[in-house]
Amino acid sequence: MGEYSGVIRAGLIGNPNCGKTTLFNALTGANLKVANWPGVTVEKKEGRTTWQGQDFYLTDLPGVYSLASYTMEERVSKEFILSGEADVVVDVADASSLERNLYLTLQLLELGKPVVLALNMMDIVKERGMELDLPRLSELLGIPCIAISARERTGLNMLLYAMSRYEEYGNPAMPAKRERVSLRLRDRQDAGKQRNRLSEKWNPTFERGMKSASLAGVSYDWIEEIISQVVKETENHTLLMSGQMTESENHAALIPRQVTERENYALPMPGQVMEREDSTVSIPGRAMEETIRKRQDRTDRIDRYLTGKWLGLPIFLAIMGLVFFLTFAVGGWLKGYFETGLVLLSDKTGVVLEAWKVSPILQSLIVDGILSGVGGILTFLPNIFILFLALAYLEDSGYMSRAAFVMDDLMSRVGLSGKAFLPLLLGFGCSVPAVMASRTLENRKDRLRTILITPFMSCSARLPVYVLFSTMFFGKYAMAACYSMYLIGILAAGISAWILFRLDPHGTDYMLLIELPEYQSPDVRSIIMYVWEKVKDYLTKAGTVIFLASMVMWLLLNFGAEGYVSDMSRSFGAVIGKWITPVLEPAGLGYWQIIVALISGIAAKEVVVSSCGVLFGIPNITTAGGMEGFAHILEDMGFGMPNAYALMTFCLLYVPCTAAIAAIRRETGSGKVTAAIVLFQTAAAWVVSVIAYQALRLWGF
Amino acid sequence: MRLKEGRDHQVYEVLDLHLEPELERRMMALGLTAGTRIEIVNNQKKGAVIVKFRGARFAFGRRIADQIQVKEAAGWGNTAG
Repeated sequence: MGEYSGVIRAGLIGNPNCGKTTLFNALTGANLKVANWPGVTVEKKEGRTTWQGQDFYLTDLPGVYSLASYTMEERVSKEFILSGEADVVVDVADASSLERNLYLTLQLLELGKPVVLALNMMDIVKERGMELDLPRLSELLGIPCIAISARERTGLNMLLYAMSRYEEYGNPAMPAKRERVSLRLRDRQDAGKQRNRLSEKWNPTFERGMKSASLAGVSYDWIEEIISQVVKETENHTLLMSGQMTESENHAALIPRQVTERENYALPMPGQVMEREDSTVSIPGRAMEETIRKRQDRTDRIDRYLTGKWLGLPIFLAIMGLVFFLTFAVGGWLKGYFETGLVLLSDKTGVVLEAWKVSPILQSLIVDGILSGVGGILTFLPNIFILFLALAYLEDSGYMSRAAFVMDDLMSRVGLSGKAFLPLLLGFGCSVPAVMASRTLENRKDRLRTILITPFMSCSARLPVYVLFSTMFFGKYAMAACYSMYLIGILAAGISAWILFRLDPHGTDYMLLIELPEYQSPDVRSIIMYVWEKVKDYLTKAGTVIFLASMVMWLLLNFGAEGYVSDMSRSFGAVIGKWITPVLEPAGLGYWQIIVALISGIAAKEVVVSSCGVLFGIPNITTAGGMEGFAHILEDMGFGMPNAYALMTFCLLYVPCTAAIAAIRRETGSGKVTAAIVLFQTAAAWVVSVIAYQALRLWGF
Repeated sequence: MRLKEGRDHQVYEVLDLHLEPELERRMMALGLTAGTRIEIVNNQKKGAVIVKFRGARFAFGRRIADQIQVKEAAGWGNTAG
C-alpha cells in the first residue's frame, strides 16, 4: 500500500468499443506501462495522471460485456476489482446503447465497490433525438453519472472530481445508500402524475431486482425499468412526433427502439406485451425525417457495401491490398533513408575504432556483431510503423470486425470461425500479437488451430529475407517472388487448418459472435498511442532478444574448439551447420552457412539477413553493393534461383521466432502443445521447400 | 422458425435459445433473451448473419443463428431505403 498512499487507484472497465481505451489515453497521455496480467496474456495497461494535486493510478481493464467469468478477460477484471487493487471503478458506458452497458454497471454495483459511471458518446444519443436524465440515473443507481466525450476530451475534470471523492459514495455504506435511493423514489411520487405512475410500478421491481441480483441475476427487465425513467425525448424528437410520419418511419429514426416505444406509449410490467395506444403520428416535413435518418443509418449504408453479398469480399481484398502496398511501397521508400544512415554509421564506427587502436576482436564484435545485427533490424522500422498504422486505422474505424464477418463463410470451410481471421491478418504484421489475438476465440480447439497456423502468415520480420534473396535472384520479378511467399503462407495455413479439422473426430464447432460497432473516423490520439506501443515493443525486442542473438551468433562463429578462430569454417557454428547439412540437401539448402543463418533466425527471423552478412563476411548486406557481392559468392557456391526460392519458403514456414514461441507457450498453456506446434511447422517447412526446390529444378531453372 | 431462416430487414421476436449454458449466459450479457426484438440486417445464405438488437449490431455465425428460435414481429425494418 505504501507506494500508493495518497494516490487514488482506479480501474477502467467497460464494454468493447465503448471508448474506454480512448478515455484511458486521454487521461494518462503517454504515461503508460503495458504488461500482461499474471498468468494470462490479457494485456494490462497502467498509467498515471495528476489532477488538482491529486495523483491517480489508472488500470485499463479489458473490454467485457459482463463479469460472469466466462472469458479470461472477465475473470481478470472481476478478480482485479474484488482484490481491492482499485479504490474506485470507472465504468465507461456507450450512452448510445445504454441498455446493454447498464448490464455491466449493475453487476459492478453488486461487487460493492465505489463505481463512477462515465457516459461516453452522448452526442450520438442527442443525434437520435434523445436525452438522458443523468441526475435521475445517478439517483437510481446511487453513484455519480458523468457525461464525457473521450474523443473531444470533455467532462474529464468532472470525472476526475467524482473519482477523487469516491469515499462519499463507496462501500460499505452501499446497502444503506440503496435504501436511501428507494426512499427518495417514494418522495418523488407526488412530483407529478406521470412520475407517480412510473414510480409505483417501478419501485417493487427495483427492490426485487436489488434483492435477487447475484451476478448472474441482473435482469434486463430491471434495466428496462431504469431506462424508461432516464431516457427522454429532445426537441428533435418532439418535432418528429408532431409531424406526419408513419409508424414505421418514426421508429426508423429512433434507437434504442424498445426505449422509445415504452416512453411513448406506456410503462410495461416485465414480460407484459406492449399494446400500442397510438399508431399514427405526424411529420413536420420530409426534410427533417431525411436528416435524422441520414445520420442514423450511416453505418447501415456503409455496411450495405462493405458487408454486401457481392461487394463485401472484393472490397475486403482491395483494402488488404492497399495495406500491403502502403507497408511495402511507402515503407520501402523510407527504408532507403535508414539504410544510408546505417552505412554511414557503420563506416564511421570502423574508422573511429581503427583510430583508437581497439583490438581486432572487439572491433569485429562492435561492427560485425552489434552494429550489423541491431542496425539491420532498425531499417525495417518504417515498414512495421506503416503496417501498424494501417492496422490501427482499420481497428479504430470499426472495419476489422466487418472483415471477420465477410470472411466467415470462407474461413468456415477450413473449420475456422470468421473471428479467426483477425489473428491471421495480424500475423502479417507480427506473429506475437497475432497469436495473442487468438484468445478472442472461445472454443479451445478453434484457438489451438488458429495458433498453429498463425505463424504461417508471413510476418513483417520475414520480409527482409525475401527482399534480400528475391532482389538478388529474381531481378524484375522480385516483387512477384515476395508476394508469392504470402500466398504460399496463406495456402499452407488453409491446408493445415483443413487437415486438422478433418482429422478431428469430434468435428468441433466454429462460432462467430462479434459486435459490429458504428463506423467512426479513427481517433488520431488512439492511433498514435497504438502505433507507438507496437513500435516500442518491436524496438525493445530488437534491443534485447535480437541483440542477444547477435552476440550468440558472433560467439558461435568466432569461437571454436581452439578458442578464438579467425577462420569461420572452424567455428562451433560451422560444426552444427555441417552436421545438419544432409537433412536440408533435398531442399537445395545444404550449405552450412545458410543453415547457421537459419538457426540464428530462430531468435528473430530478420536476423537471417544480418547473419548472412556476418557469415559471408559482407558488411551492409542490405545495400545494393552488399547484395551484388553476396550474389556473386552464392552463385560461385552453386546456389541459384531455385535454392533462393526454397530458402525463402523455408524461412516462411519454419520454427517461429523465440518471442512467438513464448507467446504460443503462454496462449496454449502447455509446453507439449508448443513443442508439437513448432515441430509441425518445421516439418511443413521442410516438405514445402523440398517441393518448391525440386519443382523449380524440374522446370529447368 | 430459426433466426437463420429469417429475411433481411425483418424484425423478429426471440422465443428460445438452444445454446450451451456458457454461450447462453454470454447472450444474456449482450441482452439477447427470450422476448427480445431482433432485426436481421444482412443474412448471408451460407455464412453469418448481421443482426441488431438493443441498439447494437452483431454478427452471428451460422451455428448460433441456427439455434435461436424466433417468430416474426410486427415492426420496423429501418435499414431499407
